[in-house]
Amino acid sequence: MSASPLEALQRRFTRSVTFMADPELVASVTGGGRLTAAEAVDVYRGGYPARLTGALGETYETCWRVLGDDGFFAAARGFIARFPSRSHDLSDYGAAFPEFLESLPVAKDAPYLGDLARFAWTFKELFHAKPHAGLEPALLAAQARPEAVLRLGGAVRLLCLRHRVYSLFRRDEKDETPVQEAEWKGEQRLILYKKEGNPIFVRELTAPEHAALTALAAGLPLADALAAAEGLDEAGARELFAFVSAAGLVTHIE
Amino acid sequence: MREDYPIALHGVSLSIGGVEGPRPGYLQKLKSLAARVDPFLITDHLCFTGTHASNTHDLLPLPYTEDAIATVSRNVAIAQDVLGRQIALENVSSYLSYRESAMTEWEFLIAVARRSGCRILLDVNNAYVSAINHRFSPETYVDAVPRDLVAQLHLGGYTDAGKFLFDTHSRAPTGPVWELYRRVIRRMPDKPVLIEWDEEVPEWSGLEAQAVRAAEIQREERERQPA
Repeated sequence: MSASPLEALQRRFTRSVTFMADPELVASVTGGGRLTAAEAVDVYRGGYPARLTGALGETYETCWRVLGDDGFFAAARGFIARFPSRSHDLSDYGAAFPEFLESLPVAKDAPYLGDLARFAWTFKELFHAKPHAGLEPALLAAQARPEAVLRLGGAVRLLCLRHRVYSLFRRDEKDETPVQEAEWKGEQRLILYKKEGNPIFVRELTAPEHAALTALAAGLPLADALAAAEGLDEAGARELFAFVSAAGLVTHIE
Repeated sequence: MREDYPIALHGVSLSIGGVEGPRPGYLQKLKSLAARVDPFLITDHLCFTGTHASNTHDLLPLPYTEDAIATVSRNVAIAQDVLGRQIALENVSSYLSYRESAMTEWEFLIAVARRSGCRILLDVNNAYVSAINHRFSPETYVDAVPRDLVAQLHLGGYTDAGKFLFDTHSRAPTGPVWELYRRVIRRMPDKPVLIEWDEEVPEWSGLEAQAVRAAEIQREERERQPA
């Protein structure tokens, strides 16, 4: 079925803003003020990359600091040209930016960039996530039997990164000292969570802790989740459970 | 805040003029937000923002045609049905006009409201910006808008970009906009008014001064009304 005239116009206008000015659109409009038709279309074209670059800059501020203005704006231009925004919410834009950064030549010198962006995206997601009410520690302790499935709340994220980027994310924005390899070399496993009315908390996890929490998040019963965590001894399991309890990560038990 | 102040939810992403209709899920999210906030009014803009596959995040103008009125009316019906309440649509500033437009901007705005059953958020600054850009009388525009269709008034500041006026919300309303506002207020002195200032936001006192001025004009014009 062919598009209605209004649908065709809206597609042309959208393409003109996000890609290249469509001559048919330009021919169908009159510029406001003393603008030519092409200049008037350009008014709308100019705002688009600015808005999307602003959204990327807000989420990936730490990557911006690493890349500098020129590097970040070039990366944003390339990303915006390839990835349209589909959501109604501008803050949803840029989910694929970490992988995009890893595909750029600059990633050869800064291989941690993708993980830094991944952390920033996760942090942003959690910032906008609805806080959950965790179970009271006493209730959790009473009900957490080996066969129980502990459901984690919506305001919890687990990350397993190939580079240690959390300290880079936390770097003071005025700190302009070059990033040293020793800062990012090595894997890093993290849990990010927030409690009602509280800021976002980040805790570094050991590999067994991460494995156990990932298994819990996947819906495995408590005993199976702990068994999946190779190298987690009884003392470690107790310490992890105490953390899970105090952090209010569990919202209900099945 | 809601305990102390009435709140209007003002959106930019409804894309009420989009031929594909509102984005899936958007209205449900808005409904859920409205249930939390209990606003006295829900508003968005009389425009489209792109396609479902590609959102420009901009307020793109519609052609003033019967087809566009029918599209907006269909989408308003969907929105009001999901939200379970009437909405109001705001006239946008524009920097181009379509050769195919078959009526004036205010005729389009009024026809949309009458046909769809929504109300109008009359942005006095936008009416002025579009009037100067497209060379029509701002007074004729605002005089034509029926009082009973208007749910709220907006005021804001534009930037003179040399070749055109650009709606930037980055400064105080200008003299001509205040004059136009007074003209509107003379006919509808009891409408709620909002100052929009979301770029280069000044100190609180600078913003408050605009709100005080808007309220003062309302009070003066109310007092001039015959008893």
